[in-house]
Amino acid sequence: MSHVKKLTDSLIALYPIVLVAIVWEGVTRAGLVPPTFLPPLSDVLASLWQQIVSGEIFEPLAVSLYRAAVGLLIAMAEGIVIGFLMSQIRWFRWLMNPVVLLGFPAPKVAFLPIFILWFGIDHLSKIALVTFTSIFPFIIVAQAGAETVSRVQLWAARAMGETRLGILWRIILPAAFPSLMSGVRVAVPYALISAFTAEMIAGGGGLGGNLVYAQRFFETTTVFTILIVMLVAGWLADHGIIVLRRRLLRWHN
Amino acid sequence: MTAMPAFLGKAASFVLPLMIWVAIWAALPHLDLIDPSFLPSPAMVAIALQKLAMQFSFYQDLGVTVYRSLAGLLLGTIIGVPLGAWMAVSPRAEGFFGPIVKSTYSLPKTALVPLLMLWFGIGSTTSILAITLSTALPMIIYTFHAVQDTPRILLWSARGMGTGRKDLMWLVQLPASMHGILTGARIALGFSFVIAVAAEMIAAKIGIGKLIFMYGENGSYDYMFAAVVAIVAVACLADALLVALTDHLLRWQGRSNMLG
Repeated sequence: MSHVKKLTDSLIALYPIVLVAIVWEGVTRAGLVPPTFLPPLSDVLASLWQQIVSGEIFEPLAVSLYRAAVGLLIAMAEGIVIGFLMSQIRWFRWLMNPVVLLGFPAPKVAFLPIFILWFGIDHLSKIALVTFTSIFPFIIVAQAGAETVSRVQLWAARAMGETRLGILWRIILPAAFPSLMSGVRVAVPYALISAFTAEMIAGGGGLGGNLVYAQRFFETTTVFTILIVMLVAGWLADHGIIVLRRRLLRWHN
Repeated sequence: MTAMPAFLGKAASFVLPLMIWVAIWAALPHLDLIDPSFLPSPAMVAIALQKLAMQFSFYQDLGVTVYRSLAGLLLGTIIGVPLGAWMAVSPRAEGFFGPIVKSTYSLPKTALVPLLMLWFGIGSTTSILAITLSTALPMIIYTFHAVQDTPRILLWSARGMGTGRKDLMWLVQLPASMHGILTGARIALGFSFVIAVAAEMIAAKIGIGKLIFMYGENGSYDYMFAAVVAIVAVACLADALLVALTDHLLRWQGRSNMLG
């Protein structure tokens, strides 16, 4: 019973979105705006449905997700190593600090033409941009997470004959794990945005490439369809991480 | 007395490592690891930067990008802060705007650029609107949470002293939320430069993003690197100024404890 009430309550809470949808549909059906400017919502949803059924949407979606995921995994591996090393080795922290300080607020997309020069116009330059934008959150949370380990624990481990690598792997990594998960949550939207943006700028397929292509040919319905797919992809990714984090960190709280 | 050497020490620990990085960059082409035509030396980039600094059009490009970023950020703040504060005190406003904010938050911000290009063509209007919409969202969310998290004791004491709802917002809730709002502004500032540069790279007649892309296509890589250095420097400077402003505004609260 309470489940039903909860469900109806959360559906009622969505009324503003329904309202926006009704206004959108009404304004466009009444012919108040030209369809190249704003197509009726029902047309957009029909086009979305048609693209799902025909499977057309999955190819560019898979290309974008592949670029985002590979770039993110590289950023995670490199960022965690750099962050841990910064927490343990003083001269390395000294060397890396200004890079992190400058890199964090820098508009990383400006480097895309450089990556295209180095890695070509295809996947690799886009993956490089994804890595470059999402590495900084990992560096920062890895360093901060590693510094939460108490000195006593480190001394104890060293006294028991643990090697430096062993300390990193068996003590610092588990201790930093909760921080790393919040890093993942920050980095995933960065990765998606960078992949889409790189495609919008440099082309080469993917959702971003198709979006700009549709815009150039004034296919407004397709533009909105792709925007909805991007929105849902971002939302699913974020919620996936929240669920994953709850599973993985059950021992933490 | 000790303030000056401390400041110098901080500057040195920032500049010295950077000089080592530049030295590594300068050495790379000599090690035969990288084709020198793919990586212009720091000296070449410095010369290109110097030449750019003497061109009026370079300042036009840089200025347009900065203008778009900051105008969009300003509009986003003007929309976001009152809306977020309103949502925090009025359940009805939260009920209406909350789902809209939540459902649009995960949209990749730069994806708005092609849509707005359909509506307003290529140029400043598109960039500024895209930045306004994308910066309004973090401003709404940070203001909302900051106002909501105002310590109850402050609210109770103010109310006990007979403060009205309007004064409560202006004299208690907003000052108490300054830290959260400025943190939101720092995130929004980062968005604003990214979107401005990205929009100029997708399609533009003027702007630093367009300039970088054009140099890349022409093969003038020293100029391309120089323009990247310029926009990174400007964005980092804007960020540092915002942090300084935050520290200044919050000096009554103690250090803001932001990065750096």
